[in-house]
Amino acid sequence: MLEAIGLTKLYGQHTALDRLDLKVNPGEIFCLLGANGAGKTTTINLFLNFIAPSAGTARINGVDVARDPLGTKQDVAYIPEQVSLYGTLSGVENLRYFSALALNRHLPRPRLLELLEQVGLDTHAIDKPVSAYSKGMRQKVWIAVALAKEVKALLLDEPTSGLDPHAANEFSGLLTRASQSGVAVLTTTHDLFHAKHTGTRIGIMKRGRLVESLDSAQISDVDLQKLYLAHMGA
Amino acid sequence: MILTIAKRDLLERWRDGRLIWAGGVVLLLLLTALGVGYGHRQEARAEQRAAQTSDYADWLKQPRRHPHDAAHQGMHAFKPDAVLSILDPGINPYIGSTIWLQAHRQSEVMFRPAQDATGLQRFGDLSVGWILQVLGPLLVIVLGFNAFAGEREQGILRQTLSLGVPAPSLLWGKALAIGFGLCALMLPAAVLSAGAVLVGAEAGTVADAGWRFALLAAGYFLYLAAFVFVTLGVSAASSTSRVAITVLLAVWIVNVVIAPRVMSEFSRRWYPTPTRLEFNSALSADLKRTSDQTWQTNFGTTERWGRDVPLSKWGLALRLDDHASYAVYDRNFGRLWDTWQRQQALQEWSGALLPLLSMRAFSMGAAGTDFAHHRDFTTAAERHRRLIQDAVSDDLVKHADTLGGQHFAYQSGPELWQSVPAFAYHAPSPQWALAQSWRSLLCLSIALGISLTFSWLSVARQRAL
Repeated sequence: MLEAIGLTKLYGQHTALDRLDLKVNPGEIFCLLGANGAGKTTTINLFLNFIAPSAGTARINGVDVARDPLGTKQDVAYIPEQVSLYGTLSGVENLRYFSALALNRHLPRPRLLELLEQVGLDTHAIDKPVSAYSKGMRQKVWIAVALAKEVKALLLDEPTSGLDPHAANEFSGLLTRASQSGVAVLTTTHDLFHAKHTGTRIGIMKRGRLVESLDSAQISDVDLQKLYLAHMGA
Repeated sequence: MILTIAKRDLLERWRDGRLIWAGGVVLLLLLTALGVGYGHRQEARAEQRAAQTSDYADWLKQPRRHPHDAAHQGMHAFKPDAVLSILDPGINPYIGSTIWLQAHRQSEVMFRPAQDATGLQRFGDLSVGWILQVLGPLLVIVLGFNAFAGEREQGILRQTLSLGVPAPSLLWGKALAIGFGLCALMLPAAVLSAGAVLVGAEAGTVADAGWRFALLAAGYFLYLAAFVFVTLGVSAASSTSRVAITVLLAVWIVNVVIAPRVMSEFSRRWYPTPTRLEFNSALSADLKRTSDQTWQTNFGTTERWGRDVPLSKWGLALRLDDHASYAVYDRNFGRLWDTWQRQQALQEWSGALLPLLSMRAFSMGAAGTDFAHHRDFTTAAERHRRLIQDAVSDDLVKHADTLGGQHFAYQSGPELWQSVPAFAYHAPSPQWALAQSWRSLLCLSIALGISLTFSWLSVARQRAL
């Protein structure tokens, strides 16, 4: 479970995040929408303890991330917009390395191949250097790392940005499967369609504040677009 | 986790070619320098042995003649090149290796205050020591400049930290990776160097050579480890790889190019040494003053070798005059050498921040090619000169002075020449060398401590963003 209580981040006079209250339960996919600078990535960074909050707390499974930054990271996986891997290593070598760091033990090759198969990475590509991978392929390797961790929460920062429709669709499927297995997912996105059809809940952020929080099943695509544009234009 | 990080880093450096190309060039240079050093030392040692033997044979082959003439012929002391000069010739190339053990005067051939002092502070020729001191840090920089900065630029650092990897584990892992890389490169050179040293060592000195080699290895370990942590610290503190490499190259230039020259000049200004002319003038004045006192006290005149001193006392006068000069030489040369060593010490202390200066001193000390070893050899040679001098003077007192006016008719023969042993020099022990080099070792340890603290703080404070 992911929980923000009065979470605030100030940069001098500028308020990047303003008293955010948010709860993402196991099995939920919470999509945060908002323009650039609305505070979406700041929220993710605060959950990862990459930055310290000015006020409030971010909790993962009830544990304050500022109090136990290493411990809480064991329960969460983070997928950035641009997944970076070691270009000289192959996909399976990258997975082996990062999963070893996450789990503190090396997974056997069959398990690594199983994970890569699960995320749909082309079997011909797994032993090729990652420098030749597309963005979607790199993302799949990193999702395999997240699967290897068997985490309880996922934090995603604009994960479908730059993906072709097929890859974005595949990715949405992976997220849905993860949430169905009880993972709490918090994802930021600019893609209203993705938010509506992947998310179980949708939040709209504006100038550091969560101005809307709604159930995706209770709003149509058109109404979501109107609502979003209304907030952005106001 | 640390080993996992180290192995991955090492594999990447292997695959991106840095380890092969940068390391290969350094390894090739090391092996070349080792070969050249070994060949040069073998050649020099053979020449020194032959010259020492031939010189003593010339002493023994002297015809019957007045002992004082024999003292003026004297002998030569040839400084044996230490076996570890294969790795670090130190100051040897700049100070000569032969001392003429002549009558009355402590030889000046090796003591050129204006020139030798400069030579002490020069860089060495291409040698294993020079490569490790100058190119070693550069290799570390090439291997590690983007260890943190590059990963931050690419976003990998952010992802790695999101996995819950403690930052100190990253530091140790990356340090180990560079360490493994260096070890892999150095191992062939180290094994060959150890072999060359052990093969080149004279009988009975193999253990000493082994200990000195171990000291040398320990010194270079501290030196390169300090650079590993400086490199990682700068990489962690820099926003980009470009900033990191720029800062690190500046650090390298300051350490290996600017610092030796600046500190050399500074130490000479802080502890000034006389010019050769000033030194010789002061020495001559001191000799004359002491000699005058000796003659006045013993013979009631300051006129040396005048009418007031009968020929029956010329042997005695010679002995008294020479004995009085010993203290003068000890005083004047001692003062000069102490000043050089104070200059050296000042440079060594600065090695806590500029480790090349400590490493250079420690390397020469462990190799037996520094000024402390040179001084030990010079002192041994001077002892031998005095031994010749005393043997000759005693012979004159005993046999020539008793002839009264026929003093100069006296001639000695092989029995006197044979009573003087050949000059044999035994280099000091490794323990002695370590005792002389404690300052350098301490400063290298301090440098490592500072760089470790710096890298620790940089990594702890680094941002993933």
